[in-house]
Parts: sequence; C-alpha cells; structure tokens
Amino acid sequence: MSGNLYEASVMRIAAVREETPDTRTLRLEFADEAARAAFFRAYRVGMFGLYGAPGAGECALCIASPPTRDRYVECTFRRTGRVTAALADREAEQRVTLRGPYGNAFPIEDWRGRDVLLVAGGMGLAPLRSVLWNLLDRRKEFGAIALAYGVRTAADLVYKDELAEWAKRGDVKVTTTVDPGGETSEWRGKVGLVPAVVEETVPPNQKGVAAVCGPLVMIKFAMPVLTRLGFAAKDIFTTLENRMKCGVGHCGRCNIGGVYVCRDGPVFTLEQLRKMPAGDL
Amino acid sequence: MNALETLRADAARLLREGRAKVVIGYRTRGKERAPVFITDASGAGSLVYDAACRQNLAAYLRKPEVRARRPAAVVASPPVMRSLVLLAAESQIGEGDVVVLAVGPPGEGGGEGVYHGALTLAETARLLKEKYALLAPRPEVLDRIKSLAAMSAEERAAFWSEALAKCTRCYACRAACPACYCTVCIVEKNVPQWISTAARPHGNYAWNLIRAFHAAGRCTGCEACEAACPQGIPLMLLNVLVAEEAAEAFGIKAGYDLDAEPLIGSWSADDEEDFIR
Amino acid sequence: MKIVDVDKLSDLAAALAAKGYRIVAPVRDGDVVRLKQWKRGDEIDLDAFTVNSVKDFLMPASEVIGRYALDGDDFAPEAVAAEAPKTVVLGVRPCDAAALAVLDAVFNWDYADAFYNARRAATTIAALACRQADEQCFCTSVGGAPDSTAGADAILRPADGGKRFIVETLSEKGEALVAAAGEVVQEGEAAADAVAEVPVRFDAAALAARLAENFESPLWQTLSLACLGCGACAYACPTCHCFDIQDEGTRRESVRLRNWDSCGFGLFTQHAGGHNPRPDQAARWRQRVMHKFLYFAERFGRLACSGCGRCARLCPAHVSMAESCAALMAARKAAKR
Repeated sequence: MSGNLYEASVMRIAAVREETPDTRTLRLEFADEAARAAFFRAYRVGMFGLYGAPGAGECALCIASPPTRDRYVECTFRRTGRVTAALADREAEQRVTLRGPYGNAFPIEDWRGRDVLLVAGGMGLAPLRSVLWNLLDRRKEFGAIALAYGVRTAADLVYKDELAEWAKRGDVKVTTTVDPGGETSEWRGKVGLVPAVVEETVPPNQKGVAAVCGPLVMIKFAMPVLTRLGFAAKDIFTTLENRMKCGVGHCGRCNIGGVYVCRDGPVFTLEQLRKMPAGDL
Repeated sequence: MNALETLRADAARLLREGRAKVVIGYRTRGKERAPVFITDASGAGSLVYDAACRQNLAAYLRKPEVRARRPAAVVASPPVMRSLVLLAAESQIGEGDVVVLAVGPPGEGGGEGVYHGALTLAETARLLKEKYALLAPRPEVLDRIKSLAAMSAEERAAFWSEALAKCTRCYACRAACPACYCTVCIVEKNVPQWISTAARPHGNYAWNLIRAFHAAGRCTGCEACEAACPQGIPLMLLNVLVAEEAAEAFGIKAGYDLDAEPLIGSWSADDEEDFIR
Repeated sequence: MKIVDVDKLSDLAAALAAKGYRIVAPVRDGDVVRLKQWKRGDEIDLDAFTVNSVKDFLMPASEVIGRYALDGDDFAPEAVAAEAPKTVVLGVRPCDAAALAVLDAVFNWDYADAFYNARRAATTIAALACRQADEQCFCTSVGGAPDSTAGADAILRPADGGKRFIVETLSEKGEALVAAAGEVVQEGEAAADAVAEVPVRFDAAALAARLAENFESPLWQTLSLACLGCGACAYACPTCHCFDIQDEGTRRESVRLRNWDSCGFGLFTQHAGGHNPRPDQAARWRQRVMHKFLYFAERFGRLACSGCGRCARLCPAHVSMAESCAALMAARKAAKR
C-alpha cells in the first residue's frame, strides 16, 4: 500500500559477528537501492530503527553504524525476548526488515572543534560506537576524543576487535574497565565501576561535550561525575531506551511527561532529562 | 442496631483498635456502589451493602498497595467469603491477613440484611458450611446452559462466535476476578505467544475459554466478571458450566475448605481415569 | 429547515444504505447499546449511552498493517490495504465527534497513518445533540458542549419534544449525506428541544497547572486504589489511541497487527531488561490523567479527553475521571521542596 508508514525495507544480512555468547552484530544491506538512498538522506548518528523478523515482530534498536558508512546498517543486540531471539537465529544471506531511521540525533555538527568524551556501559557501547566511528571518519573536525567503556566481566566486552583498533590509532584515548570481580588473569584494563573510573582518569575543568549510554543505574551515577568534571548540563548527552512499538509517536508507549522518546529522543541532554518526571524514567 | 449499623460499628472498632489497617467495602456513588478503602474509623459510616454491590472485593488482595495494609477487613457476601477461603487455600493470604466482615446475600433477613460479624477465615469457612453450603448458580444461568447443551454443535458454535466477537480483550473480567492473581497472565507471555492478543475471533475464543478453564474448581460464582464486562458477554454461562462440571465430576465446590487441594493441581489414587493412576 | 421524524430513522438508514453507505448506529444488543453496523430490522436507540465510541470504526480494536508470506526463515512482503468502506455513523454524541480532533492530530503527527486517514476520509459523522446527560458527563468541563458541532459533518438536533430531528449539514460530506437520504429528510419547521444541562465539574486549565505541581502527590495512590488495571476505560474512550503491534500467523503467512493497548496495563512500559518505569497502578493512573490533561495538551494544544464519561460508566471498579480531576483540584498544592 503506498504511503503505509509501517512498510519496512527488506534487508539482507551481509555479515554476522558474535560479540559474546548472547550478543551479536548484524551487518545489513538494503535489498532496494532507492530505500538505501532514502535512508541515508535522513540518517544522522543517534537515530534508531525498528528491526524486524516477520512472524516474530519488530524491536527498536539503535543504529550501531555511522552515516559516514552508507553502504550498510549495523545493529547489535542481546538475545532477550521473542524478536531478538528470531534475529539471533538468522544467518548471513537471510533477510530481516528495517524501519527507520527514527528519532533525533547527537548534534555532532555543534561538537566540531570541541573535545568529546564517550562513556559507555555494557550494551551502551552500541550507540556510542556509531558516534565514535562518525567522529573518527571526520577526525580533523573534532578536538580530543576519549572513550571510557565498562562491562561486568571481560567476557561481556562487545566490539573487541574495534576496541583494540581504536586503542592502536593514537587519535582516541580508550579506557576499558570491568566491575570488581569481573577481571580475568589476562585482563590489562582497569577494574572498577565506570563512573569511578571516569572520575579517576578524566581531568577536571572539562569544556567539551560528553555522551553517556548504558544501564540506567550507571547513567544515574555517571551524571554527577561528569558535572563535577566541568561538563555543562546542556553538553552532557545520553540516550533513553523505552519500550517502543511504532517508533513514530503514535502508539503512546514511550511517552514520558511532555516528551516522546521516539520523537524528541532518544538523544537527550542532562538539561532536558532534569525536566522529565524522574518517577517515570 | 440493624445489620448495616452493626457492620459499620465493627468496621470503626477494628480500625480504632488497630485490628485492621484498612476496611475494604462499598460506598454509594449515585445509583451505583463503588469500592471504598477506609483507613480512619470516622469513614466507616459510608459503608453500605445491597444487591447493587456487584464487585468481588477479594480481588483487591492481590494489589501490593492493599497487601501493604494487612490486616485488611473485607465486606464479604457468601461468594466473596468463598473467594477469601479459596485465596487462603491457595496460599495467597493467611489467617491474620484478613478480617471477614461477613454479610448475608442481599435480600436475606427480609430486606434488612444479615450481618454475621467480623470473622476469621476459619470462622468464615465454618459459617459457609453451616449456612451457605447449598449456594447454587442462578436458575436463569442454569437454564441457559441447559438450552445451550441441547443445541447442535453448529448452533452452539454460532452462539459463542457471536457472543465472543464482542470481546475487546480489555481483561476487565480478569481484573475483577479474585482467582486471577497471576503476576504475569498467560496472555501476557509471548515466548511463545500462547494466546493471540488481538480482539479477533480466534484469540477471543482462546482467551475466554482458557480463563474459564484456569478458574475450573476455583470459581465461586460471584459474577463479578460478567458485571465487569463492558460488552455484556454472558461469561457466567462458561464459568458456571465449568464449575458445575468440577462439582459433578470431581466433587469440588470452591471456597468452602481452607485445606482444599486445587482441582487442576492435585490428583488422587482413586481417580476414575486410569491415565492418572 | 431540514427535518427527519424520529420514527423514520430506520428508513433514513435504509435510504443511505441503498446509496452505498455502510450504516453504523447505536443498536440495542442484549443488555447494552452499542454502536455497530446496522442492518434492516435493527432498532436504533439514540437515547442510551453506547458502550463503545466512534473510535471503533476509525481505529478498530485489531487491524492488519502488514502482511508477509513466509517460507522457513525467508519472507516476502505482501500488499496491505486499509478497509475503508464508505460509512456514516449516525447518532454520534458531540463528545465523541469532538474527540476525533485528537485522533486526527496523533495519526498525522508528521507521519501520516494511511489506515486511519483512509477510514476517516470515508466516514461521515452525523452527530446527535444531547437532550440528556448523566452524572458522569463532563463535556462542559473540557471545552465541549452537548450540542457542539466540532468534528461533525452533520448534526441532528432533537425537536418538538423528541418527535423529530432538525438536520443541519456542516460540511460537504454532510450535504452529500442529506442528498443521499432523499425524501426521508424533508423541508419543514420544528422547534429545537432544550439541550442537556451539563454542569462544569472542574476547571481544566487550572487542573493542568495543578497536575504539573503534583507529580509526587500521595493522592495518586488514593485515587488509584480502586483501579484494577484493566483496559475497559482506555478501550471505551474516544480519544485513547495507544496501541500494540504484534506479529501473528502460521508457518506460511504472518500478519502484523495493530491492537488496542492501555497505559493502565502493568506491562505497558516494561523494558526488555526488566525495568518498569511505572511499576504500580498509582504511577499508571497518574500517567493516564496527566497524559490527557497536561502532556497531550502541551504537545498538541488540546485536551485528550472529551468528557464523555464512558470510562466512569464502564469501569468495573467505578473509578471516575471527573471525580479524580475534581479531587485533584480540591487537594492542596504540593509542598515546596
């Protein structure tokens, strides 16, 4: 039906990477060139998509690859429920659907010339990986870039190869940490919760921007740390995850206060977050 | 004092003495009776009880906000008393969690109503066995079930197709029923999706029939589900059918015995069917 | 003026049906009166409050929005068309008609919902001015009126002591409707009956401000204690539009369904990771009230409530939106922190 906003693009799974026993990244290519072109005309980093396996349904996931790489779209997810299980059972060359891109974006054009700190916990690295590659693909435009990434145990790290690649580049500072008790004998990174490690490794009087993604509890503890380090509330960014279905502001599920996460977000500043009713987050 | 005045006095006293933290009863709202949650003795005067009271207040005992206020005193007619005994038999509440403000069915006592007092669960079970052992479904319901049974399969299917087509899957029936206390209902599970959630014939059949089955041997005939249904679906034709079957085939009438084993969750070496022995 | 006699309602429906309209009207159905597809012989009952609203015919309880042929793990998308037969809904109360503005706004918020819009375009709303109201009506508290024409293509005004209706057309669709009715609608004179009196129960503008201050109020728990968390209110409500999307099917075909949902259900906001931002009924009731009277208004410039009172009439626990709003207005302002 022409004009059906729920019509999704058919995507071919070009590559599968198992990040951990229950987490994987799919690299998807558009079956239709016009759909690909339309997608990348609209896509800016931070936006999300509704990835679907017909028969199981759709789920909202961030777009884990940057707009600067416009031949494919990547998503990273953990096998959690019905749809992620169906996506986890697909193999390369099989097909899935994608609707999007939806939502708002990190305003990286405003970040040009500034230092950028990315703080990620667990699966929160997926949206920030997209941001990081976007920045690195346009490296000269930005100031100092740093990534602090923490997981529960060393086995939970995602994008392991890319972490090594980023660390080797020399133009981005990478700090990884595991929760106390999560280290292995080979672990060479830090040990400690992400907010504490950030406070320890990032110098104060920061004038740039920070983006933090991860479990809500980690974000809650990271915000005061970032504030103490000098980041202004309008310069601290995060993404909210809510249960989503339509992705376009019609179904009502992601409404928090006066905001719809799928339309006004998923990217929010700390300043905006403070205006939302905390009891609904 | 008449029955209602005695009930109100007891409710006030229980609150004053701290023997109940909340009294759950009915109040008048226009032509209807709405639930009321009284935490101060001064509020006991708003309690009423009559035939317009159709909710089963035992359903509130599954709400954490209400459980936090145990002991709760609950105004209970015989079907509601049975629900409370059932909940105790199924370990959802214990003696000491509730005080049963036991009232007779509307119309008993020649219009004045009958109030049996503020009882424990054990006293309630005894009262039920002594005075309300022969509670039966309404004759109209039994008659309609008989005429449905006399229909051909096609006629009966047509009847239920039409009746269940009106279901919008609002789950008011589930919400109103004290026996429906699962924290995650079967219809809310999606790995796998046992029951379609769509308000379509297939899913509506599955939902309504499965709910009736899950209440087998547990339905106390309060009719709160049918009263709750915004669409006027004759749910009691299903629930009473299953309840009568539970009584005839297994000798089970829900809510009379605090130590009863659940119909679906128990078996006996004397069972008629040899597949279970 | 154009007149139709009250005992000619079935003839009116028949005349319109002969011209290709699907007729939806309030019809007695056992113990309830329901807006449903009318067929010859059905008795139209315009006096009762229907258990459902006109929403049912624009945003049905379950609708196919996608279809896929399946072959193992592979699939092929198939065409989906909105079912949008030319329809007239007779006897829509002004509260229901006014509610359509809410659905129109949401379903066209940047992304146009082709399913809703197709049905909307194909539907003629013939409203009926109210001669009676009950204690749950509160249209006048939310900017409505028992004879409002907002959202209607035509309105029938009871006249001459309820013996006939004055038919007023309000749009091209309304004129087309009257033209199609032919001789059943006649020229004549009649005196319009007095319209129902609906006392204002609370000040909606002041309520919005009060809500903004009272997010943390303990009143939410008191007001929601009776609520059993079903979907009866949301489903009956002409402005409620929250929905779920579910895939269902066989090994050979899957349909993607849009099904009604309610913010009152416990799992509405449950995250995959286990966190639920609204874990108790008080939080969910608060969302319901605040979305209707504050958040939606901030976003779209209109309340997401038309005061029809169905929620209160149908609630199995007798929770009343009007009562809740009045209670919030009567409560003191939240203490400054």
